[in-house]
Amino acid sequence: MALIELHQVTKTYGQGHKAVQALKPTNFKLMPSEFLAITGPSGSGKTTLLTIIGHLQQASSGSIQVNGQDTSTYSTKQLTKLRFNEFGFILQASNLIPFLTVSDQFKLVDRLTTKGKLSQTPTALLDLLGIGDLKDKFPNQLSGGERQRVAIARALYNDPDIILADEPTASLDTSRALQTVGILAQVAHDLHRGVIMITHDTKLLGDTDGVYDMRDGQLTQIK
Amino acid sequence: MFLATKEIWHNKMRYGLIIVTIFLTAYLIFFLTGLAVGLGRNNRTAIDQWPAQQIVLSNYANQSLVASTITPQQVQAAGLTQKGTPMGQTSVVVKAQGKSAKIDGTLFGIRWNSFIAPKLTAGRLPRQTNEVVVDDGLLAAEISRGDKITLNGSKTLYKIVGVTHDNRFYTVPVIFTNLSTFRQQRYGSDNVNNISAIVLRHKTTLKGDDLVQVSKAALINHIPGYTAQVATFGLMIGAMILIIFLTIGIFMYILTIQKISLYGIMRAQGIGNRTIVGALFSQILLVSLLGVVLAVLALGLTHAVMPAKVPFYSNWWLTLILGALNVLIALLGGAISLPKILKVDPLAAIGGD
Ligand SMILES: Nc1ncnc2c1ncn2[C@@H]1O[C@H](COP(=O)(O)OP(=O)(O)O)[C@@H](O)[C@H]1O
Ligand SMILES: [Mg+2]
Repeated sequence: MALIELHQVTKTYGQGHKAVQALKPTNFKLMPSEFLAITGPSGSGKTTLLTIIGHLQQASSGSIQVNGQDTSTYSTKQLTKLRFNEFGFILQASNLIPFLTVSDQFKLVDRLTTKGKLSQTPTALLDLLGIGDLKDKFPNQLSGGERQRVAIARALYNDPDIILADEPTASLDTSRALQTVGILAQVAHDLHRGVIMITHDTKLLGDTDGVYDMRDGQLTQIK
Repeated sequence: MFLATKEIWHNKMRYGLIIVTIFLTAYLIFFLTGLAVGLGRNNRTAIDQWPAQQIVLSNYANQSLVASTITPQQVQAAGLTQKGTPMGQTSVVVKAQGKSAKIDGTLFGIRWNSFIAPKLTAGRLPRQTNEVVVDDGLLAAEISRGDKITLNGSKTLYKIVGVTHDNRFYTVPVIFTNLSTFRQQRYGSDNVNNISAIVLRHKTTLKGDDLVQVSKAALINHIPGYTAQVATFGLMIGAMILIIFLTIGIFMYILTIQKISLYGIMRAQGIGNRTIVGALFSQILLVSLLGVVLAVLALGLTHAVMPAKVPFYSNWWLTLILGALNVLIALLGGAISLPKILKVDPLAAIGGD
């Protein structure tokens, strides 16, 4: 069964003569263990698509299924729970809580999770990402790249089925970027999660299982 | 609590300043309320102490004890000879024998065996006619128990044999004497058998309309200047409390609104409303409670160092109510921002393009 399935999903921002159709009718599918990439110029609608998939905002029309469940009738509360349990976000802006140390970011998940014992310890995840020594730092004490990797570790920690990454390599140099993409591929292929990554950089597409291109809200599969 | 305390700890300076602000404003409220209540009380504590419900005054006195004079004929005509207990009031200037300081007081002439006899904190009740009991507010450097005093420059010396507490009238301490001393002071002779009032435990029926009976509350409200004073201070304190509470409320609102993007991040991560709102309120509770507790401690300290002359009064109930109100208002300030927080768009966390 698909982790994510979109049917004729559109998104229009604004109303009347100011309306902008950021997403034209789109069909899309993500399977477990699949690592998909979306490329395309700035302003073409990539983030819009990703946030709709992640239920951070609602589509204007069409339907979305998560693990075969149609989410269009979900309440705000159900959506919040869905985000916590099923999705790990790695966003362009840091989505770490500013007053928590790296290890406290994980402790917060421990307190909120209903999944019982999680498959990875924070230490294992941080070591995997090569930032085991940053446990006691606050987000503002980290470099852009370090913050990005903590965000990845945090996104993976609650064992989500789906990882959504919006330009996760934007603030990294090429070797770090390649390494990060390698980790995301590993998450998909070894941990059997579905991963969707937005990127500008065509050099990073080697490990992916499929590539989509976004132009003016129109999504086309190119690999 | 986890999020609340972590955030406070990470922003010690900011939250420290908030606690200090709440501490200062709560203390200001406690302090000024204490002064106003203290001054108001000083008008009336002697009356408050009477285990009475009704006081009979002369009709023309317009419910004011200081203006009332009742003759024995009037008592008889009204059918009051067997009812209540008589008392006389007049103002006096007290001077200790051989000393120069003059102190204002009010004289209450009473029967020592009546139910309005003062409760003593030291000494004994008078046994002889020239013995008196005084409120401890009269006791100062120059006057103490056992001393002899003159009243209004009298030849007669009166000996202080007993001391009582919280017995003030018209803001000055009360000197309790027998009725004949009262008559001497007020009418120049103890052959004039007039009194100021008859104090009754319960309401009774009066014959004729020379005399009226008024409630304790009415009597207090007609102490000259009392009502105006209480109203003025009440309005001042009320306005101050209102403005401070409004400020604290707005303060909490701004504080919360500033964190909207943080709430966006939490929402995006799938952290539920209960956790977010719980963190917000436990934080406000913690901060305002700390501020108020500090203010209560400062209030205790104020009590200890405040000179007895200053009419400062506070009690646990008043402090508790004002303190609780303070905390409540802070929570309310947070609550005003609640709809905004609950509607925070998780997209707010995304940023970038
Ligand atoms: N919240 C919004 N309100 C109005 N227009 C928006 C909003 N978010 C994005 N857009 C518009 O939608 C289009 C697609 O934006 P976006 O999905 O962010 O593109 P990308 O991520 O590919 O750069 C752009 O024209 C952008 O201006
Ligand atoms: Mg984007």
